Amino acid sequence: MDHILSILIFFPLLAGILGFVVDKGSAKAYGISVATVEFLLAMWLWMSFDNANAGMQFTEFAPIISQFGISYNLGVDGISLFIVIMATLITLLGIILLDESKIANMKNMIVSLLFLEMTMVGVFLSLDAIIFYMFWELSLVPMLYLIGAWGGPTRVYAAIKFFLYTFAGSLVMLVGLLAMAYLYHLEAGVWTFNLLDWYQLDLSTDLQFWLFLSLFAGFAIKVPMFPFHTWLPHAHGQAPTIGSVILAAVLLKMGTYGFVRFSLPLFPDASVSMIPFIMTLSLIMVVYTAMVAFAQKDMKQVIAYSSVSHMGVIMLGVFAMNAEGLGGSIFLMLSHGIVSGALFMLVGVIYERTGTKMMSEFGGLAQVMPIYATVFGVMLMASVGLPLTIGFVGEFLVLLGFYQVSPIGTIIAGLTIIIGAVYMLTLFKRTFFGPITNEKNRNLKDLDRRELTALLPLVAIVIWLGIYPKPVLGPIDNSVQKLLVEMEYKARTQEAKDMIISMKPEKEESDKEAK
Amino acid sequence: MESLVYIALFAPFVGSLFAGLFFARSPKSILVGVVNPALIGVSFLASVALAMHVAEFGAVHVTMMDWISMGGLNIPFGFLVDEVSVTMMLVVTLVSTVVHIYSNGYMDHDKSFNRFFAYLSAFVFSMMILVMSDNLAGLFIGWEGVGVCSWLLIGFWYHKEDKPFEENPSISPSWAANEAFIMNRIADLGMLVGIFLIYWNVGSLQYNVVFDALPNLADGLLVGIAIALFIGAMGKSAQFPLHTWLTDAMEGPTPVSALIHAATMVTAGVFLVIRMSPLYSMEAVSGVSMFIAALGTFVAFYAASMALIARDIKRIVALSTLSQLGYMFAAAGLGAYWIALFHLAAHAFFKALLFLGAGNVMHAMDDELDIFKMGGLRKVMMGSYIYMGIASIALAGLPFFAGFYSKDAIIETAFNEGTYLIWIMLVITAGMTAFYSFRQVFFSFHGEERWKPLGFNPHDMYKYVLVAMAPLAILAISFGWFMDGYKAFITKNLPAYEMSDHTHHIAWLLGALVVLFAVIGIWIAYRKYAGKGAMAWQRDEKVENSFIYKLLENQYYVPHAYDRFIVQPYIVASDKFWEWDNKIVDGTVDTIAKTIYDAGDKSRTMQTGNLSTYLNWMGAGALLLIVAAAISAVIG
Repeated sequence: MDHILSILIFFPLLAGILGFVVDKGSAKAYGISVATVEFLLAMWLWMSFDNANAGMQFTEFAPIISQFGISYNLGVDGISLFIVIMATLITLLGIILLDESKIANMKNMIVSLLFLEMTMVGVFLSLDAIIFYMFWELSLVPMLYLIGAWGGPTRVYAAIKFFLYTFAGSLVMLVGLLAMAYLYHLEAGVWTFNLLDWYQLDLSTDLQFWLFLSLFAGFAIKVPMFPFHTWLPHAHGQAPTIGSVILAAVLLKMGTYGFVRFSLPLFPDASVSMIPFIMTLSLIMVVYTAMVAFAQKDMKQVIAYSSVSHMGVIMLGVFAMNAEGLGGSIFLMLSHGIVSGALFMLVGVIYERTGTKMMSEFGGLAQVMPIYATVFGVMLMASVGLPLTIGFVGEFLVLLGFYQVSPIGTIIAGLTIIIGAVYMLTLFKRTFFGPITNEKNRNLKDLDRRELTALLPLVAIVIWLGIYPKPVLGPIDNSVQKLLVEMEYKARTQEAKDMIISMKPEKEESDKEAK
Repeated sequence: MESLVYIALFAPFVGSLFAGLFFARSPKSILVGVVNPALIGVSFLASVALAMHVAEFGAVHVTMMDWISMGGLNIPFGFLVDEVSVTMMLVVTLVSTVVHIYSNGYMDHDKSFNRFFAYLSAFVFSMMILVMSDNLAGLFIGWEGVGVCSWLLIGFWYHKEDKPFEENPSISPSWAANEAFIMNRIADLGMLVGIFLIYWNVGSLQYNVVFDALPNLADGLLVGIAIALFIGAMGKSAQFPLHTWLTDAMEGPTPVSALIHAATMVTAGVFLVIRMSPLYSMEAVSGVSMFIAALGTFVAFYAASMALIARDIKRIVALSTLSQLGYMFAAAGLGAYWIALFHLAAHAFFKALLFLGAGNVMHAMDDELDIFKMGGLRKVMMGSYIYMGIASIALAGLPFFAGFYSKDAIIETAFNEGTYLIWIMLVITAGMTAFYSFRQVFFSFHGEERWKPLGFNPHDMYKYVLVAMAPLAILAISFGWFMDGYKAFITKNLPAYEMSDHTHHIAWLLGALVVLFAVIGIWIAYRKYAGKGAMAWQRDEKVENSFIYKLLENQYYVPHAYDRFIVQPYIVASDKFWEWDNKIVDGTVDTIAKTIYDAGDKSRTMQTGNLSTYLNWMGAGALLLIVAAAISAVIG
């Protein structure tokens, strides 16, 4: 299995193309089997992953256009490994949750999802800027189709908005990537888009700043950072359940992953000097969108805005410049993927039954659907970051790490544990508690086998990684420490070097004393 | 010994899972009612064995496995059983065992019987993690865990609908549950900040490492840590201004109020201060400690004042809990940690007894809470009357009952420290405590049977429930007798607080003064509510319209103020933000998109298909280019 990464990327593509000839009635079964194989491949990747090795593993390299240094270049490390696994898992569970009786053109849906899976996996495994960009942009197409073809009443507006907005940002990012290659050419005399080569390039702080900004345009819109987030509620509002699940769980992570993989190691000085800017936007995301979430009347919009709020916490972690914060933010990406994915699934479940997502239509559901309420409750607790659920680990580490950067900023960001509880508990109370106000809801069926199959694995993960996150934290820790060491080494200004903590705090202390 | 630690810790967890098996399915499983109390009992026995071990050989420390490790941070699941934590374990498991048995009777007819036990045992497990963890992060697990269990249990009867504030000050169980959770989270943020400060300056969250490092830390930092951790304690222990959730939490079933909102969880804040006593007893943070004592004293008085006129039997008991928590903080703040812990334990016993007694009354009166509708109940429920009498005597601090020793020691400490204002407040509060406790007893058990015309048919609780309450009654009477022995045990770990010779000489006088105040309080209550011709239970409009009465009845208007100045503005601001998000943030995006679209749409008119028009445009374009070239040539 030398080419495990290529297989991971292109198996869904080939299976998707084959999917066109699959019989309509068995499309879902076909989708499940393909996604299962893909997930097992990802698990196999984890099993054969060398936890002690912090660098890139299973690398593949093949030149494509050698005169421009564009190559087919793949690799996986502790940072990308688990995001890939999560992407394949969420795709699998999302397909399981699809209701054959409700979805027209199941075959097209499955094919789109498999294409989407290829692009997602591709983004996280690419080590060549052009290949990365290609997967990045291709991921828009199946999502555009998912929203446009299976979405709600204003799906076309939402789909086009989603496409054009993120596409516009990506183009600016592309300019930045091309400039980067050009600068490398100026310096080294050869063209290359190899990310690992780019890491070696020493850039002036000025150039770092402008390049940082151009990449920021692409990543920030994807995250989405305030004030570029408004495409997200529209997209979620119109997207079918599976679209929202994948969008929230995986696609948004591309943005934060981009910051980790590109912005931090390529522009360490700019990253450090941009901390106040990023912090301001992130804090607005955390507090402001949480309040907007509280004002929502539609369950799905609450979750959509809460996603933005949580992504703000992840952004803070990315720019914490220490292993605790950065590693925490990687873990939080995973946990947010699991939890928000599950929450969107849960909203989809009730929407399928009643045709509405408005909280005012519900009330007292806990009496009618106790299992549904319990699963929702577990995800709620994970979402508000309860210890021993997956949500706590990442949030705690990020806040802990960011405290080193800015205590005041951390306290403001820490408001998330309060206002996050406010909107989630309000949602829960309005939906599940109180007397049954709507007679129509009196005979709702609780979760059936299909829904449980999709949701229970997520519940299990939420608890497992909440109690024992070590298997995941270990590889992340290694790769993150390596990244920080490289950043510190590469940073030009003393200010940036001081900010980046690539060592453990007690060592730091003794270093200071030695000085 | 290691296995005993795990048995004590995980037996309640097993119980919770076991009851969870029957979660929503069968209406009631007798098995759950038997197995769960038994498992908590096992946990209690293991705690007893551990206590004997600790007394003889010292602390037991076990590390189970790693939890979180990232960068320089390493948090294990480690458990420390020393004098302090084993005291808490004994209190928690003993009260829990009684409450579990009691719940069999109390929740007898509830359709969610099994669910109740699943939550209740989960609470005990969380509480055990809280007290047993050997590091602050582990404590935080338990801290949040009890918070969630409290949320689940306050909102246990979630199907009840919201009522207006005037009709029911706690609105509904689900509302009260959310209030408690959110208010605790506010405090938790403070606690997290304390944890972050410790981590970045010590590099570890293990108690022993932290305590060793404390002397090396700067004074300002120590003060910061002390304040941040105390903010956390204020939330769990419902200290002003984060106190309103505790009285509202009475929406939960009464066994829950007894266990969580009287005996155990609300004392977690006090426990935290005691656990961190190496920090709080430092010279550098003496200001913070004095503040803790002052705030505790204030809360003791403040809560007692509201209890004077409360009509809801559970609210009276809840307010007295709040008041007693104030006493504990006063002691801890003044440096008498072991006395605070002693009062914590004594209070757990008599307050749980009092609450369970109140539960019996509610059970008898079909969940009626208004003491104005009771009266003369001692004729039909002698057992509960005796229990509540014992608990009230203990609470009032009459000689030779538990409260006499523990509360008296706190008041004596205040005198000994020379903080006379605190001392006098605590003495007055002791009188008020005696008054409102006996007011409630006389109201419900003495006098005219006002429930008769209302059609109630009260009867006492099941025999086995009354028998199960006996250990609490025995301890409420006798716990104080073990004070000296306990002191010898606990001061191996906590500073041995000694009274000065001066105080020691007049200790009998100080004690007598407190007892005098208590007796006066009881006497007034008796004259007004139980003596011959006492008619005070008939409502007096003049009193009820007075300013003071209104102030107390509305809890000093604090809940109103929170609603008006925090909740409502938050709702308005959220709606405003949403509006802005649509109109301004998204509006800008749409405007840009529309401008581009319109520009394309307008310039489309150029495409007429008419050759001469194209030539005109070409000429205009060429001209523009020439001008641009000319300008750049001039500038360049």
